[in-house]
Amino acid sequence: MTTTKPQALLRLLQLTSPALPVGAYSYSEGLETLVEQGVIATSNDMLHWLTQELTYGLVVLDGAAVGLVHSAAAQASLGAQPEFSVAEAIAQLNHQLSALRDSEETRQQSWDMGRALVRMGTHLHPDLKPWFSAAGSPCNFAVAFALVAARWDIDASSAVLGYLHSWAANLVTSAVKLIPLGQTVGQEMLLELYPVLEAAGDRAIATQALDQLSLSSWGTSLATMQHEVLYTRLFRS
Amino acid sequence: MVQSLARSSEANPGWQGLARLSYAMESGRCVPAQTYTRAPLRVQRPLYPEGEGLCHTVLVHTAGGLVGGDSLVVELAAAPRAQALVTTAAASKVYGSADTDSSSQQVDITLAPESCLEWFPQETIVFNQAHYSQALRVDLAPGAIWAGWEITRFGRSARGETFEQGHWRSRLEVWQADQPLWLDRQHLTGSSAALHSPNGLAGHPVVGSFAVLGHQFERDSVAALRQLWPTDQPGDIGVTRLQSGLLCRYRGPSSQAARRWFVAAWQHLRPLYLGRSAAVSRLWPR
Repeated sequence: MTTTKPQALLRLLQLTSPALPVGAYSYSEGLETLVEQGVIATSNDMLHWLTQELTYGLVVLDGAAVGLVHSAAAQASLGAQPEFSVAEAIAQLNHQLSALRDSEETRQQSWDMGRALVRMGTHLHPDLKPWFSAAGSPCNFAVAFALVAARWDIDASSAVLGYLHSWAANLVTSAVKLIPLGQTVGQEMLLELYPVLEAAGDRAIATQALDQLSLSSWGTSLATMQHEVLYTRLFRS
Repeated sequence: MVQSLARSSEANPGWQGLARLSYAMESGRCVPAQTYTRAPLRVQRPLYPEGEGLCHTVLVHTAGGLVGGDSLVVELAAAPRAQALVTTAAASKVYGSADTDSSSQQVDITLAPESCLEWFPQETIVFNQAHYSQALRVDLAPGAIWAGWEITRFGRSARGETFEQGHWRSRLEVWQADQPLWLDRQHLTGSSAALHSPNGLAGHPVVGSFAVLGHQFERDSVAALRQLWPTDQPGDIGVTRLQSGLLCRYRGPSSQAARRWFVAAWQHLRPLYLGRSAAVSRLWPR
């Protein structure tokens, strides 16, 4: 599939680890609402929900954006300043990701996680600073993720798959807490999801522009809006 | 029956309807300074139920609905400080067609500084086997406001029809200074999982969105609009803030419940974004 070098693989594991200090564990993306409402009550419900999100939900757009930002950055030399056209393309993708988020909490989630990764990335690699500046502030998490992945020599397909996997693993962990489910059931769910993740990764990489994609996500969008007024909240989205 | 309504593109290229209106202020009165229409679209005489400063326009589709091959284009513009409300005379129907013969509607709205345009069409009923795409693009100059709603019913659900075949696509985009404020790109394919899964329609036939862009709302407004939803009504709602704007969404069985809530939300918000109260159009069903 890919020719990931051992050290690039290790950096991918670092970038997609739950230990990455961006606070991913504190967001449920509407899942907390759906569990509270009884819409998601079993591991099958959860698997169905994740599968549908990976088919026509917002994460599809984020995955495609990771691929697009990565390829824009990887063609240039990340040690140098981005050329104007490249900077412009990355800024446009970042604007679109903000405008495509139709609930305040999911937009804030992406911006907060993005800010944390930009801070970390700038500290580790000062040469990334002009690239983060090109993306603009607030910077969405998927954009920051793609820039760090390119800087760490992680190839585009691996970066996209890694992004999707960490998204899914984080929500499975949330589901295990919320529904609740056994830890082993959570691991089974992830294994069952891999063909779906692979297909979603292929689609993301094949996407030439974000406006080729459209969603069918009224339900998830309502759940994230309703989360703002959920009575007891463990999560921030 | 649906088949008989389908028209092949060789037989008839379909209606290419057009309505082009541009509003401007003339000594304190907002007038449609330029009006051009091509069948089957028509506009009624401008109405002023809310005083001279705000012009109401009713768009009429004289052919009753869209069949395969039809396309409608609506172009609306407002000069500085012009204020207009555009609605439609009746629900818009999209009939079934062959998949090679889709119909479309495109609405382009260009708003100059400090102008306001409200786009409040009646519901769209997408029949089973319809192949339809709609696009709405708004370009806001600084200080301009756009408010609008879209209510869509998939299948004539009152008679038990569901969206078993066909394809629907909607793009709603609001831009300001070459940057997108809100992009809403949705699609639905007949019999797809999205019709029944909780991520999508969860088995409901109606979705609706009401948004106001170009104004920064306080959190209190979001809470107030949630309170305006009568809890005895069927369906799910959500309210949230957009980047300089606000969004209400509905999903459920009833376009009437969606419209009534959107009207109530509009009446609540309009004094905030336009500094004037809202008069309900007599055309809208109660």
